[in-house]
Amino acid sequence: MMKAIKGCARVLGDDVSTDIHCSSKYLPGRDTAYIATVAFDQVSPGFAKAFGKGDVLVAGKNFGINSSREQAVHIMHRMGVAAIVAPSFGRQFFRNAINNGLAVIECDTGGIADGDMIEIDPSSGRVTVAARNITRAAPPLPAAVQALLSAGGLIPFLQKHPDWNLKGSAA
Amino acid sequence: MGHTIAEKILGNHAGGQPARAGEIVIADVDFAMIHDARAGNALKMIEKLGAKSLPHVKRTALVLDHYSPPPNMEAANTHVEMRAFAEKHGSPIYDVGDGICHQVLPEGGHLTCGDLVVGTDTHSTTYGAFNAFGTGVEGTDVSAVMMTGKLWFRVPETIHVDLRGALQPGVWAKDVTLAMLGKLGAEGANYQALEYAGSGVAAMGIDDRMTLSNHAAELGAKAAILEADEKTLAWLKAHGAAAPKPVKADADAVYAQRIVIDTAALAPQVARQHHIDDIAAVPEVAGQKIQVALIGTCTNGRLDDIRQAAAILKGRKLAKGVRMIVTPASRAIWLAAMREGLFEILTAAGASVEAAGCGTCVNITGHYIAGDDQVVISSANRNFKGRLGNPKSEIWIGSAATVAASALTGVITDARTVAGGDWRAAA
Ligand code: SF4
Repeated sequence: MMKAIKGCARVLGDDVSTDIHCSSKYLPGRDTAYIATVAFDQVSPGFAKAFGKGDVLVAGKNFGINSSREQAVHIMHRMGVAAIVAPSFGRQFFRNAINNGLAVIECDTGGIADGDMIEIDPSSGRVTVAARNITRAAPPLPAAVQALLSAGGLIPFLQKHPDWNLKGSAA
Repeated sequence: MGHTIAEKILGNHAGGQPARAGEIVIADVDFAMIHDARAGNALKMIEKLGAKSLPHVKRTALVLDHYSPPPNMEAANTHVEMRAFAEKHGSPIYDVGDGICHQVLPEGGHLTCGDLVVGTDTHSTTYGAFNAFGTGVEGTDVSAVMMTGKLWFRVPETIHVDLRGALQPGVWAKDVTLAMLGKLGAEGANYQALEYAGSGVAAMGIDDRMTLSNHAAELGAKAAILEADEKTLAWLKAHGAAAPKPVKADADAVYAQRIVIDTAALAPQVARQHHIDDIAAVPEVAGQKIQVALIGTCTNGRLDDIRQAAAILKGRKLAKGVRMIVTPASRAIWLAAMREGLFEILTAAGASVEAAGCGTCVNITGHYIAGDDQVVISSANRNFKGRLGNPKSEIWIGSAATVAASALTGVITDARTVAGGDWRAAA
């Protein structure tokens, strides 16, 4: 069972490509540490600089489209992203996030504003912004996904459970 | 309630019972692939995993296709590392010039009907043409497969696409996918599998079927699977694949959506500049000037594409001012095209032929960098702004037939209106 995640909401819009805005693909020679200070600047100037450790990234639909690089998740870990909430994600980004221990929650994010305090319960799927009376029901993360996330991602999980015993670890 | 092909293949690999869409399964992977553009990350992840042994490493191919040839020292060194890794562990390796991952895996007999195959590339959906579940993953996933032979999957919902009737001469699977992109939009099948079926599929050759499964990546699909028929089985046998275990969908399988396309009446389609889902029928945009014509990539660099182009350009010259580059998808295709005399026709017409690989798909190697205001017509799969190294250029996407017909006239042209455009009917 994963613990609830509580943090300050930092909001981005629809269709944000992590391939363009959160990778070194178009900034050859720049490393993950540098990109973690400028990520998403083109869609929201100063976004990464103002992002605090433990903040929750709240995005519009199709977050992470066109992205197949795990680097995007590594960059977000450096930024201190505690979780991402969006109505939908790019397929490969969604998978990479789970494999690299970053919680991704699918629900409607309309009405949530930058700076709101947001609380996520990954096991029930409930997302709340108390100050705005917002409660949304996201599909709860499957137990297997919670087990991978709790371990910190697929690699640390397999180091402990090379037999893929998801049940043994979820407890 | 019956099951889709995706549910059956994933279930067969996760204990034997068909799975249900939405479930998470831990499945045995039959074959995996790492290509050079992702090898840096994948090899780092394998090291991070710190596995004592990699029992499944011989079922993972390493392919040197994106950096072919390597454009810089870093890429060249990635190649050095990949060769050393393959040598040490006995993994199959395809070196520079052997071809694109999605072409060399089937040609190398590495997969068969009913298999579960992953690769570090979105277009790994291509393997669906052979009734396999093929999907794109990342380095972490492939390192997990090398160590444990398994991987987790969310079982996808499936969209059933019924293609009604054989395509007209001059119209190709590329046009079917472009029409689908016009209908569903670029991420219209996100997380989902596609099942293409019907008389339209039955009439297609293997090359065209591979386009159908490959290009589903632009729809956001996780897999795009076809049922196997005699053509599939014969092709797999000729390429030395293991005994096929064909998987069919149940008549009462549950689909997220059903789509019918009147393929017999379909006209050639193009994606206009910058957006792969900004679709028009070729006759609507006929007359649009082009300066560059590109044939190649994992979507449309196969033998039938090159044959179609040669049929159109035989004994003729490219329009004045047009540059054309042809990049076969694999060494086997290169050899076949050379033996058929296709390169002589294309070269005499004014085109250049390059070594097999990803070539002009994206500006990684500098094979082709567009100039300001240049309009490119390409048989590739993606056309976002700047993909060919210059945001001031335009990339339009069409079938090899449309590309060749346009190279001949200098404007986007319906292949059905030029001699040789009906090549397939005559074959
Ligand atoms: S041909 Fe293009 S899309 Fe296909 S694998 Fe190579 S770079 Fe990717």
